[in-house]
Amino acid sequence: MGNIWSVVNALRYLGSLVHVSGDPKEVAAADALLLPGVGSFRKAMLSLEMSGLDQAILEAVQGKGRKILGICLGMQLLGTRGSEDGDTRGLGLVANPVDRFAIGEIGANKIPHIGFDVVHSKPGSVLFSGLSETADFYFVHSYRMLSRGLIGTAATCTYGVEFLAAYEQGNIFATQFHPEKSQTNGLMLLRNFLAE
Amino acid sequence: MLKKRLIFTLLYNQGSFMLSRNFRLQKVGNLKWLQTNYDFSHISFSIDELIVLDIARGERDTQAFCEMLKALTEGCFVPIAAGGGIRTVEHARSLLRSGADKVVVNTALYDNRELTADLASEFGQQCVVASMDVKHQREGGYQVMVDNGARRLSGTAEHWIEQVVNDSVGELYLNSIDRDGTGQGYDLRMLDLLPTSMSKPVILAGGVGNSTHLAEGLADARIDAVATAHLFNFVGDGLRQARNALIGGGVELPQWDLRQLDDILGKQQAGVTA
Repeated sequence: MGNIWSVVNALRYLGSLVHVSGDPKEVAAADALLLPGVGSFRKAMLSLEMSGLDQAILEAVQGKGRKILGICLGMQLLGTRGSEDGDTRGLGLVANPVDRFAIGEIGANKIPHIGFDVVHSKPGSVLFSGLSETADFYFVHSYRMLSRGLIGTAATCTYGVEFLAAYEQGNIFATQFHPEKSQTNGLMLLRNFLAE
Repeated sequence: MLKKRLIFTLLYNQGSFMLSRNFRLQKVGNLKWLQTNYDFSHISFSIDELIVLDIARGERDTQAFCEMLKALTEGCFVPIAAGGGIRTVEHARSLLRSGADKVVVNTALYDNRELTADLASEFGQQCVVASMDVKHQREGGYQVMVDNGARRLSGTAEHWIEQVVNDSVGELYLNSIDRDGTGQGYDLRMLDLLPTSMSKPVILAGGVGNSTHLAEGLADARIDAVATAHLFNFVGDGLRQARNALIGGGVELPQWDLRQLDDILGKQQAGVTA
């Protein structure tokens, strides 16, 4: 689900200096942060809290105005709370909660939502600059954040229900899909994040 | 709407990539060969997914396979599945740490069903690809072969497919030993072996010789993805051309613009912490 090697691989391909860190001091001092996700919402959040990384991320993003990109579970962790593995508070940088795709909302579709799917981006989005307003990205997830009423919605995807595919507001960026697994579409998006 | 997939499968055996014909192997070249003569870093932009299998008949060198996998997947930005001889969770974990997003399990699906459950609980069901090698029988019907096609399972293929798809696997990779490497096209009759209420994605493999064969596979509603493991049928620009032909023919494959690559690589970047 969260393959850190792939993210690092993509960032290096784009010519970035990448350092994988679980050290709150290093995270608080970084120019830009990238938050992938491994495991369940609850386990990931607990591990951030135990290591003090939650505070380090908030300090970097809110205190110092550093930019952050959350990917997949990393995006979900930015939300207010998540119900995977028991209700858990999130980092609260994005105003909506994260819940499992409900049977009623996805119709005949299967969970997890897995594969390349069409993402509809908003005109003027930073992340999608240079990409067409509908572009294909790779998803693997069973939980989603709804986009309804969310300021900062940069793109949506529809899987029975319309959900948040990408978010951008100030220095906070996030994607539910995996840009590092989405060919040149994803590389463009990562480059746009890095260049911002 | 979810797109269909075009998958390239690489077969690896003790340092070399192989051609397989009815499961008889022929050495083609090492990683360097693949990268220079086959321009793999370019080819990887013409596929939706990569599968890399260690098909060594004897002892496997997992560490060497993992090193190759890391090097191979460096310029590769699609989901990657890897497998071959997986018997333990640790073996699977080492592949997932070397660039794989999913693991491919074959013989252990029957010999060690607990492993399938353990892999799913450790990494998630979507992470487990069930690979089944099927052979047509002279007396009619199909049977499942394991241990690189060397051992026949008693019972019908239908029986084993139903058991496997009801276990904790994310998708099914259905390969025809009879068509493997022949270039004669997929054995679409194999699809009648699938349960009617099939709820997991199916990847069809074995026999592709040209883009028409790929289109024939993708035209069947029971198929989510088509795979080819033939290193020469799509050599040079072949996969890109096949992909364009499929998209031109109306097949719903993911699309991206390769011309953007120069633009993407042209800009200087700042440091980032992941």
